[in-house]
Amino acid sequence: MIIYLKLFLEFFHIGLFSFGGGYATLPFLYHIADVQKWYTTKQLADMIAVSSITPGPVGVNVATFAGFTTAGIVGAFIATTAVILPSLILIIIISKLLEQFRHNKYVQSVIYTLKPAGCGLLAAVGVDMFINSINLFGMVLLTGLFVASITEKRDPLFYLGVSALVGLIAGFFNLTG
Amino acid sequence: MEKTLYQIFKTFFKVGTLLLGGGYVILPLLQSELVDKRDWIDDDELCEYYALGQSVPGIIAANTAIFVGYKLKKTPGAIAATLGIVMPAFISIILIAKILEEVVKLKFVQSIFWGVGIGVVLLIYLAVKEMWRKSVVDKFSCWIFFITFTLSACFKAPPAALIILAIFIGVWLPYQRKIEYGDKEE
Repeated sequence: MIIYLKLFLEFFHIGLFSFGGGYATLPFLYHIADVQKWYTTKQLADMIAVSSITPGPVGVNVATFAGFTTAGIVGAFIATTAVILPSLILIIIISKLLEQFRHNKYVQSVIYTLKPAGCGLLAAVGVDMFINSINLFGMVLLTGLFVASITEKRDPLFYLGVSALVGLIAGFFNLTG
Repeated sequence: MEKTLYQIFKTFFKVGTLLLGGGYVILPLLQSELVDKRDWIDDDELCEYYALGQSVPGIIAANTAIFVGYKLKKTPGAIAATLGIVMPAFISIILIAKILEEVVKLKFVQSIFWGVGIGVVLLIYLAVKEMWRKSVVDKFSCWIFFITFTLSACFKAPPAALIILAIFIGVWLPYQRKIEYGDKEE
């Protein structure tokens, strides 16, 4: 019973305090590996790699994994619920407030400044991922995808499918290193 | 398409299933499923929810989904969207948890990682392009974009600090000048 409570508290904590998303959750997850021993740092690194081909955000994936390895399917359910619950509660409250104060000039001004900031952060993530994963053959693949994107508006699934397939084939010829 | 709770759940379940590469593709996926195919929200609203999603603690992909779910059908909509986005992640991890280490070591799995990584870069580029159109509307917002981008990309400033900075500027701005925010609802 106590393990369920611990799982809930740790992951609720992450959901509530990891700010800025994506890899902002990682320091918390490494901290848990050190303190709680629910998974090793090696397992966490594997988990982060795996979560790029399994559906879902890294944070949710690690919560499910940690819960499952420590306390089975119930543990997985508790940890996953805990990591998402703070967001759900906070956003419902914020949405209700937004409905009421949408036309307030400060609210409008904050939305006006938040949007380009959010866009800038996403662009930085893109550049970072580009630098970390690119090589000569990657450049060829990226150029191909880019050309495909300017000729026609396509489903995101198209790009993910094509790039996974090309990656798979490139792997056989050792072009991915 | 009708916005029943089941439809909302199903749509987000699909988005959740395609959410590869660490959650950053939430924006292009929602653009494709909710704006283009279903016409449930418009680009402008999506851009706003994504920006707001970054300013709330937690996982950005999930946050964006929850904002959109609430917009579609209030609190039940938010819950349906959350379940939809989380469930594919939950199921897939349960299925591979026991063989995690073996899976990561497989050569062909790593090749797929690599390929998907490149695909994600393109999807992020497309999302940024779309978001730029909706968010960089004048000189001032252009400055905010470049300052945020530079601090984050070149100086590794924590995203949370940059978001808080943007909020402060937003609160301070009305004192400084009169701006037209071009809110189409007014």
